[in-house]
Amino acid sequence: MTTLAIEARDLVRDFGPIRALDHLSFEVPAGIVFGFLGPNGAGKTTAIRTFLGLVEPTSGSARVFGFDTRREGDRVRERAGALLEHHGLYERLTAEQNLDFAGRVWRMPVLDRRSRIRELLDQFGLWDRRYEAVGKWSRGMKQKLAVARAVFHRPPLVFLDEPTAGLDPVASAALRDDLASLATGQGVTVFLTTHNLVEAERLCDLVGVIRRGQLAALGPPASLRPGDSAYVRVTGTGLDADMAQRAASLPGILEATAADGALEVKLAEGARPAELVALLVQHGVAIDEVRRARQTLEEAFLELVSDDAAGSRPEGRR
Amino acid sequence: MNTGDILTVVRKEWLEFRDQLLRLKRGGLSAVIVLLMLGIVTPLQMGPLWISSPLMLAYWPLLSSGMVSTLIADAFAGERERHTLETLLATRLSDTSILLGKILAAILYGLLFTFANIIVGVITLSIAHFGEGLQVPSPTQLGFMFLLVTLACSTLAGVGVFISLKAATVRQAQQTLGILMMVLFIGPVLFIQFLDSEGRQSLAGRLSSLGTAPLVAWVSALLFTASLVLILMAMARFKRGKLTLD
Repeated sequence: MTTLAIEARDLVRDFGPIRALDHLSFEVPAGIVFGFLGPNGAGKTTAIRTFLGLVEPTSGSARVFGFDTRREGDRVRERAGALLEHHGLYERLTAEQNLDFAGRVWRMPVLDRRSRIRELLDQFGLWDRRYEAVGKWSRGMKQKLAVARAVFHRPPLVFLDEPTAGLDPVASAALRDDLASLATGQGVTVFLTTHNLVEAERLCDLVGVIRRGQLAALGPPASLRPGDSAYVRVTGTGLDADMAQRAASLPGILEATAADGALEVKLAEGARPAELVALLVQHGVAIDEVRRARQTLEEAFLELVSDDAAGSRPEGRR
Repeated sequence: MNTGDILTVVRKEWLEFRDQLLRLKRGGLSAVIVLLMLGIVTPLQMGPLWISSPLMLAYWPLLSSGMVSTLIADAFAGERERHTLETLLATRLSDTSILLGKILAAILYGLLFTFANIIVGVITLSIAHFGEGLQVPSPTQLGFMFLLVTLACSTLAGVGVFISLKAATVRQAQQTLGILMMVLFIGPVLFIQFLDSEGRQSLAGRLSSLGTAPLVAWVSALLFTASLVLILMAMARFKRGKLTLD
């Protein structure tokens, strides 16, 4: 039987008249990297706060490793590490003091604290700057240190709210590798929110899309995308709006748009582009290329949250 | 609640205070100026009375609680303003450990502030009155002083928690606490000013007839009750679920 790290059951959280979580239900198995995607104000941060027992649900329940977050929040926090919306580092303290404080909070013995500080600061390339007050550091360096602090006490569950924000591409890639090895090598469950969909696609075993506090989709990244043949891009001469309209009238074609001398067509499940090509040739289009396009997770995500993409909720991030 | 956890928070708060002091900016520079004024200038002006006057039993609690007010605002409103409070709340530390750790750190600072000033003052007076022996307060006087300083700092820390949790910024919390301290400083002076000469004589007579020790006992009991009530109320207020986390 799969052990569950997180179970949300019909979770509702209201802030006055605003419903931040709206009957949210999903499960996250232990030992995987779970990506929580959604536009600003969708409810990602509220969900993390609820799982950590920082915010009580209005109704419904959340369990982390079987512990009820409302009644047993302390037991949840004992087993979790977190990098929240803000890095939460003490900027007047040095990098070493920040990590040492984290170790003391989790009652790590002094020798273990020292070796862990060395290990993590080395891993993130910050060892030489361990005596500097972190207030002077760049955002990327602070972010690395905040990730190090979140995993410092080797928790079985780590919540990371946009962990690669502010990191350069090299550092992001390195962090992704580290997070993946945490899950595969050490059995740690990583719950991360990100706006970087390429990152989610590369890193996550399971992805949940949240929209207006409700779960819009849940599954492995590949399952959120339609099949490879869903999109067709035709380039050539004579591809105008009139041709797009004709194409759209064909059975099996959901949508057709002409732009920049090309025709972009969305096919229904199982439909093939042969009839489309025949139609275009019949109407004198000189075809240069017909290419099946694979919808990216980003496109699938934008489609799922299309209403929100036009404008985030006025109350800001939740 | 766990003593080790409380001490972990105290240690963290102290590291932050120390940083401020060492940098000689804001709190640091003002602490040095205060030390010069209270530990050197005032003893030189007052002479041996600086040690023996019963007024010093009110003087040090008021001054040290003034210093505590600055730190308590930083420990609560400042931590929220710098967005570190939520991360602290996301740890395994209990609400009570965090709260008591912060309060204890501020009280210890108040005691250290008093102790440092008295040491500097004793050295200053002993040098100024060279040949008259070491100018030190009596053990009773010292005991009363530190008892009252501890209780005054605890009471102000309790008040400070409420003000800091409601204030939007550290500055706002410090300003509100500053006004409160001014009332505490100026209030008794104004009260005495409003009394006619007969009333003043009557008040002085009553206080002197009461004696220092019973007066200290009454004030201590009052401050102890106030600080206990305030800290218990703060414990009820300082709950993760109730704190605004935005």
